[in-house]
Amino acid sequence: MAFALRRLVFYLVAAWFAITLNFAIPRMMPGDPATTIFARFQGRLAPEALDALKASFGLTDAPLLTQYGTYLGHLFTGDLGLSVAYFPSPVSEVIGTGLGWTLLLAGTAVCFSFALGTLLGVLAAWRRGGRLDAILPPILSFLGAFPYFWLAMAALWLFGYTLGWFPVRHAYGSDLEPGWDLTFLVDVVRHGLLPASTIVLVTLGGWMLSMRNTMLGVLGGESILYARARGLAPRTIMWRYAARNALLPSVTSFGMALGFVLGGSLLTEIVFAYPGQGYLLLQAVRTQDYPLMQGIFLAITLAVLAANWIVDVVTMMLDPRIR
Amino acid sequence: MTQRPVAAALLSLAALACTRASDGPAPGVLVVSVDKQSAWVRNFNPLAAGGGARWPTTGGIYEPMLVFNSVKGEYVPWLATGYTWHPGATGLTFTIRRGVRWSDGAPMTAADVAFTFDFLRRYPALDSGGTWKRLDRVTLDDAEHVTFHLRTPHVPALHGLALTPIVPEHVFGRLADPLTFTNPEPVATGPFTEVRVFKNQVFELGRNPHYWGGLPAVTAIRQPAFPGNDAANLALINGEVDWAGDFVPAVERTFVGRDPAHFHSWAPPVGAMVFLYANTTRPPFDDPRVRRALSLAIDRERVVEVGMYGYTRPANTVAFSARYDRWRDATLDDSPESFVGHDPTTAAALLDAAGLRAGPDGRRLGRDGQPLTYTIDVVGGWSDWVRSAQVIARDLTALGIQTTLRTFEFGAWSERVQKGEFDLSVGWSDEGPTPYDFYFWLMNPESVAPVGKASPGNWHRFGDPESLALFEAFRTETDPQAQQRIVHALQRRFVATVPAIPLFPNPSWGTCSTRRFTGFPSELDPYARLSPFAQPESLLVLTRLRPVP
Repeated sequence: MAFALRRLVFYLVAAWFAITLNFAIPRMMPGDPATTIFARFQGRLAPEALDALKASFGLTDAPLLTQYGTYLGHLFTGDLGLSVAYFPSPVSEVIGTGLGWTLLLAGTAVCFSFALGTLLGVLAAWRRGGRLDAILPPILSFLGAFPYFWLAMAALWLFGYTLGWFPVRHAYGSDLEPGWDLTFLVDVVRHGLLPASTIVLVTLGGWMLSMRNTMLGVLGGESILYARARGLAPRTIMWRYAARNALLPSVTSFGMALGFVLGGSLLTEIVFAYPGQGYLLLQAVRTQDYPLMQGIFLAITLAVLAANWIVDVVTMMLDPRIR
Repeated sequence: MTQRPVAAALLSLAALACTRASDGPAPGVLVVSVDKQSAWVRNFNPLAAGGGARWPTTGGIYEPMLVFNSVKGEYVPWLATGYTWHPGATGLTFTIRRGVRWSDGAPMTAADVAFTFDFLRRYPALDSGGTWKRLDRVTLDDAEHVTFHLRTPHVPALHGLALTPIVPEHVFGRLADPLTFTNPEPVATGPFTEVRVFKNQVFELGRNPHYWGGLPAVTAIRQPAFPGNDAANLALINGEVDWAGDFVPAVERTFVGRDPAHFHSWAPPVGAMVFLYANTTRPPFDDPRVRRALSLAIDRERVVEVGMYGYTRPANTVAFSARYDRWRDATLDDSPESFVGHDPTTAAALLDAAGLRAGPDGRRLGRDGQPLTYTIDVVGGWSDWVRSAQVIARDLTALGIQTTLRTFEFGAWSERVQKGEFDLSVGWSDEGPTPYDFYFWLMNPESVAPVGKASPGNWHRFGDPESLALFEAFRTETDPQAQQRIVHALQRRFVATVPAIPLFPNPSWGTCSTRRFTGFPSELDPYARLSPFAQPESLLVLTRLRPVP
């Protein structure tokens, strides 16, 4: 328990540091949002509009320390400010349009990919040199090495456009009303299947190989030899002794991957026209929308920290040596 | 051991995939692709700063007094039936159309117009047209007439006033915080005012039952969310989108060719003129002979062919896009001073005359004896400009001026050009309704900002003192013929002084499908641009379309 608390304090300090960086970095970028937005109109906006833009975004010349104080104060009250790119909508509302879908799509894909990849890794290592071990790793590495954009486009073109098995865009049919009824849920699954599969396809190899390799190391260890000598059932050795120990490094990377889910999967979102955080982040960077950038970075930072803390706790449970 | 459940799961998923729901819109519902977003944020405030409002807030929901047809360069009477200038161009009276109603049934009168401008005066942050830089006061004469009193005579002020969206006093007058108002349920005069559906992926606007032009034939406008051009283009060539303004690569083959009877594309060169700006505060670009030489060295035909896939035409002598055609003095094309042809020999002679002699290796030396090397600044990722700049760099290097490309992230690029901290850069220009605004930001000394201060135009920092009187005269001239004479004189100043180096006019992209709707503008019937993003011009199209029975 003390271990978990120690880690918690550590993560709180890390969170403060990240929050401060989050404040500082956008302010070091060149240009200010009003002139950028103005320039983006490419002459379609009268030059007189610049002053109006500056006034409406509340661009102040207040000292940085004052701005930092206001920033911290607002953070704790959950007020992330007004978005510049989607002015005058609040950042929390803008993030809200994609957060749930990102969690659903990328979250499910990462979890599924981790579970399946790890399972395949265990099986491949257990029957080293067997059929599974010989065929899958090269295929999956090959797929994983493809540019994701290309793979997703090809999948979209083949399964969505040519064969027509899956919808080509969006998270649900546009004539459906979002709700918790079966029709809607089925539709969501139908829309999410293709984008999620492409993510799983490219990440599966990584999980499988890392699990397989660690597992092989563990299987070569003396503890396993001892367990065999004691005559334990092979299945017990495989799961309770080998896999459990080999899982530790994978769990750490899983925590990282889970934390980054909130960053969204930009390419997936763009190819499959799926709502989510990745596109918002791109949009925020393009338009120098500091409030929106900060809001998203904050969400990512906190998610990474939280995921890592959970991983620490899980590792603690898996590995008695840490306790 | 896990094989059987997995197979079962796969089978059920496959079954799921095969049950396709029909996604097609109902008859009469126009599907449009304009804004590029992954999810919609609800905002229908026509006065919102930064253009954050959803399309067509200012070109379908709210309406201005006049609509500008940028293909013909003419105003179309809209909420106002006409306007008259007071003698001396110090005042302007608009006659407001009778019988117009707001979508909630309340009558729209000249009082709403007067209110709109008073509102902008009270909240300068919303005055994105900068109308109060020119206005002194606005008076309500009677229920049909509003008079705008200007601080100084300024005929070009008409555009900003006429195109301001008019908002209802009985809604906007009661707002507690107008600056952050997102106007979720618009009350407006336009043809489409009822938000029928608003979800993160799609929204639909229904008709205004009180529309003054009669009930629109299109029953609703629907906009699915497309995060980028690729997704939008896929829907377009699939026939799922009726009207779009996105760039389609090789449009004839990829789109029009799929159904030539119904799929159409029209991209008239009426957009902003694209220039190569040479910073005139940095020698030797302060010398018009050098700028003329750079211009003559550029093979514009090739720039257009390589950079723009031939979608536009090379710039003409006076750098006018097609929207200024009726102002153009075509006789200047034969002028010996014209600098848009490709003539490396004359260019070399001009550089010799300017004292930039060629060294032994053919490279031009500056007045300090050092070889000239420059970079052209472009936004990385704007591939049409990057390709164009590559052609230009090659042409200038052939002239003996070593030129390379430097790409910047958009924010960094715009900061550099706006502050005048560059040597050469590709950039756009003003798109005003008359050549007045366009030339103003190219060569009026009043538009020159000091280097280091961000300026929205005249990035090259050039002022021609002799043009001042012409701009002055145009501001007070209301007679079209006399205006024409002034613009002709300005064109001669442009050709004589070479403020910047014109490359090509931007085409205004537009694609449509006539499978479900007819009446789109075209080259034969140019009553508006085919680009839906052109607001409020889109009003002309939205009120003209008819569903195919």
